[in-house]
Amino acid sequence: MNTQHQSHVDIDALYQGDQSKLYSGLMAEHHGADINSEGSKKQVKRIIKVTIFLTIITALEVVLGLWGHHVGVPRAVTSALFLIMTLLKAAYIVKVFMHLGDETRNMIVTILIPLTLFIWFIIAFLADGGFWLHMNHSSGIHYMLP
Amino acid sequence: MSTTTAPLPASVSAPKVWGGGRSPFNVSYGKMMMWFFLLSDAFTFGALLISYGTTRFFSSVWPEANAVFYASPFFGDKNLPLVFVSLMTFILILSSVTMVLAVHAGHYNDKRGVVKWLLWTIIGGIAFLSCQAWEWTHLHAEGGWWGSFTDLSMPASAIQHFFGNYPGHVLTATNHAAAMQATHDFFNYFFTITGFHGCHVASGVCFNTMILINTVNGTYERRGHYEMVEKIGLYWHFVDLVWVFVFTCFYLL
Repeated sequence: MNTQHQSHVDIDALYQGDQSKLYSGLMAEHHGADINSEGSKKQVKRIIKVTIFLTIITALEVVLGLWGHHVGVPRAVTSALFLIMTLLKAAYIVKVFMHLGDETRNMIVTILIPLTLFIWFIIAFLADGGFWLHMNHSSGIHYMLP
Repeated sequence: MSTTTAPLPASVSAPKVWGGGRSPFNVSYGKMMMWFFLLSDAFTFGALLISYGTTRFFSSVWPEANAVFYASPFFGDKNLPLVFVSLMTFILILSSVTMVLAVHAGHYNDKRGVVKWLLWTIIGGIAFLSCQAWEWTHLHAEGGWWGSFTDLSMPASAIQHFFGNYPGHVLTATNHAAAMQATHDFFNYFFTITGFHGCHVASGVCFNTMILINTVNGTYERRGHYEMVEKIGLYWHFVDLVWVFVFTCFYLL
């Protein structure tokens, strides 16, 4: 197929047959490139870089978990650091491993906006838990085992 | 709306993004639905982890991760906090890497590469599940299970080791009931959440095996693209992503 003169008719034919051909891999992005091509090797390098990055963060988390506990670093400090490192790891997995960083802007926004619900979700429920503890302490009522 | 502009011939104009014929998101239906499924699954896992957090917030005492997860296979009762679970986390990260390499090979229609990396991914998934089976067995032997630790006549000394032997962590008559409740809640959440995650890993191994068979049979080669590997890859990375949060919530915080 001559890609330079691809008309709407060709695109429609492809779309109705198997739309994935339009958007997936070889036809969509790499135009028949080889696995050993320059572009391919660059991408593999990027994957290995992210792997090393994720490994280092995980190692740091474990070290902080053990050492921080040993030395007695305040819980709030270690917890904040753990959450930052977790979100960093999550961002890299979604962006590079799940290729969300390579999608169109509309697609990225469509996936990320619903996740903002978590902001309310976490604040509301942890506040509820904290309030419950406060009530138990101040009223002297303790919840019972079944 | 302007009525004076004559429409350009279809063959001349570049296709409009929202003009039909092409996906404005530049993804196929199947891939987008996989993303939306994962979004819904993220809320399921999120709900589980947040309810775990809520329970933890209203408990005045809570088991200490370093004291609960201290054991490793082949090391008996040696105190090695976090070591084994770090290994599990590393295995899952590596299997995620091999999966992304399989997807990458698929992008270039490299059948041999896809087969090789899918095999490694399946091995990683099975290794992770084996580690989890060991950990569950170990915690079960320590008395933890769904619905365990409800007997208030059990002395505080029997659950003290879950809270560690640090100053300020000593259970007394006043916090004994709360500690028993917290241990009970902790194990319920632990087995539910890691169990639900383990089910995802197990089904991911099944999906990977299915696409491996299809790849070997040349199904995707004939189809002209390896998009199925991409879609299953998304699922597999998501499972890894969830573990990142489970690891933080249960073992670190």
